[in-house]
Amino acid sequence: MRHSLTLQIGPATFRIGSAWRQPVEELTRLYAGYPDRHDAIADFTVRLQPTGPLRRWVRPSILITGDHGLADAAPMSLAHGLLAAEMGMNLQMALGWRRHLLLHASSVEKDGRALVMTGESGSGKSTLAALLGERGWRLMGDEFALLDLDSGAILPFPRLVSLKNQAIGVVEDVVGAQRMGPMLQATAKGDIRHLVPRPDAVARMAQGAMPAMLLFPRFGHDAAIRPVGQGEAFMRLTQASTNYVALGEPGFAALTRFVTDVPACAMDFPSGEAAFDMIDRLWEDGA
Amino acid sequence: MSAALLVRALRQPATVEHLDAAQWNGLIAAAKAERLIATLAWRVDGMRLPEPVQPILRDARMDAAREARQALWEADRAAAALAPLGVRLVVLKGTAYAAAGLVAGQGRFIGDLDILVPRSAMSQVEPALMAAGWEWVKEDAYDDAYYRQWMHELPPMIHVERDRMIDVHHTILPLTARPKPDADALLADAVPAGENVWTLSPEDRVIHAAAHMLADGDLQGGLRNLWDIHCLCSEGGRAVPDFYLFLFERAAFHQLVPAVWRALRLAHDLYGTPVVAYRAPITVDYRLRASDRMFIARLLARDGWGRETRKLLVFAFYLRSHWLRMPPLMLARHLWTKWRKGHRPR
Amino acid sequence: MPQEDRFLKPIKRYRIDPRDACRACALDDLTLLYHARSGQTHMVISPVPEILDSIEDGASVTADDLWDRLTQSYDLGDRGEALAQIGAQLEALEALGLVRAA
Repeated sequence: MRHSLTLQIGPATFRIGSAWRQPVEELTRLYAGYPDRHDAIADFTVRLQPTGPLRRWVRPSILITGDHGLADAAPMSLAHGLLAAEMGMNLQMALGWRRHLLLHASSVEKDGRALVMTGESGSGKSTLAALLGERGWRLMGDEFALLDLDSGAILPFPRLVSLKNQAIGVVEDVVGAQRMGPMLQATAKGDIRHLVPRPDAVARMAQGAMPAMLLFPRFGHDAAIRPVGQGEAFMRLTQASTNYVALGEPGFAALTRFVTDVPACAMDFPSGEAAFDMIDRLWEDGA
Repeated sequence: MSAALLVRALRQPATVEHLDAAQWNGLIAAAKAERLIATLAWRVDGMRLPEPVQPILRDARMDAAREARQALWEADRAAAALAPLGVRLVVLKGTAYAAAGLVAGQGRFIGDLDILVPRSAMSQVEPALMAAGWEWVKEDAYDDAYYRQWMHELPPMIHVERDRMIDVHHTILPLTARPKPDADALLADAVPAGENVWTLSPEDRVIHAAAHMLADGDLQGGLRNLWDIHCLCSEGGRAVPDFYLFLFERAAFHQLVPAVWRALRLAHDLYGTPVVAYRAPITVDYRLRASDRMFIARLLARDGWGRETRKLLVFAFYLRSHWLRMPPLMLARHLWTKWRKGHRPR
Repeated sequence: MPQEDRFLKPIKRYRIDPRDACRACALDDLTLLYHARSGQTHMVISPVPEILDSIEDGASVTADDLWDRLTQSYDLGDRGEALAQIGAQLEALEALGLVRAA
């Protein structure tokens, strides 16, 4: 393909090819602090290619595919090329990663122990992880937490943090504009802007941590905390995992170990400040 | 061209020891696109491999092992569902290779469960499967009528809980195709593979694979289908001295000599299948014919990023596959109906 | 099947095929069973784990036999009700492929 680069994020290496220059240039700038894997043998190939013969020039339209693709993936406009590349990498991880149990969760670490947060889109897990990452925690990842099948540790996957709508302004106020990617307006999920993790989070992206707490955050509700039983946690985590079934018995062993060892809570929160207080208290009491 | 790299790696695994990183990336992308990555992993087992390649191949083998396990479980469930009918379960393709423990099954990607049942039993098989939890994938009047009237199988069904598809065939080619394989003979000569599962005879397996690839398909996944044929023939030839004679005799019986012959020529040329030429009692040689070169070009049409190249050739084969299945008027009708729904060949 | 056969139907026997043995994990409120052959995880509550435990030895049993076995360790209450429940559970387990008709 005309433009390409190879990126390493956590344990995974991606070879990204694009018919257009722009997405690769944006990735190069935002991932500048990540290890240089030029000419590496990659775990996954991602392709950003025109949806049809003329679509490289005329109203450019990106088809996201690669080793794994979705038959019904919606094409994206070139203006959202960075998002397309990120989605392409996510797709490969979600459908193809087998070396860890993949949890659709954010995670942060303090004192060698990890806090794992999972929930649907809009639950606030990404924003909380991004903000905690600026408040003395180490950001491990905003999208995927990798559960090691043997050790039970959580391994980081610190790609760019994907912030949506109101979260963009909240985070930019804290970190400043220079660590933010371009504003991608009116995507299928609203406005999206990416945050570059702190250098420390990138430098330590091979370092895992034992999970100490599992949170199910829910933004936009009155503050409330309730414990979550092991059965419910298991069920919700299987739903939050894209490779639980594919991993078979080792996946079962890892996930049952996780839910029996790690205390779980559901946390409703009305604001970031309220969430930080609740997390501090939970962390001191329970973890 | 990375597909050529893949063919060479499967044929002569030791050659992978000399690949550079860019070639490895192309080889892996092509192997994944052709669903031959786990087969490749089996073939290059024991070779000196770059460190980053090893986990990729290990993952592929693990996936293939799980697929085989699940495929055998689906077969077990289908056998249980059909047991009260007294219909024995004949499984086809990947599930059959896994059940019979064949080399062709090593690392093979297995998708749906394909089974062959007597046409006379179809009306009982359908409700028996539905009672055991399978249901129609889609309610679409045109496709449904199309399947029932013209195809060699029921419309696909999916299991409500396990989310796995089953294709119920009553013969191995669409009824509109020109060759008319003898489905009763396929069933009568099936051989057991495990306690409640049967597979086609060794010759019929090759014939089915060749028919599937050449008389029925647009050569999507052709390299893998051809690898199946290579493995089935190599193993068959080792087990029975005159395997290829029996194979041609049987192919003639099923009206499928052209497909089988071409498949053997292609397999011999690309994978080095140890075919046997004869002067008597029949005359068979494996020199490539002019038209074979187009098939080979189509099979090798994949670049270093795993993309299909030669779009026109791919499209020509797509048209050809429908031509083979259907008389021209029906072809026009079918393509029109498909295209209106937005279907395009990949 | 013809009407009269339904009354003559032999009492059904079940057994666990050793290949269908599950890996179990008790969580605080339920039990998880991992069935390797199908790759499926089943979430179950009493009396399913107890039923499976009691026929782990591979013996072929009827619902009556099972009642005899279970009643040695558990108070099952009314025999008729318990038998009906055991029979229903065995049928459900057979549909999942965890036990087989013997």
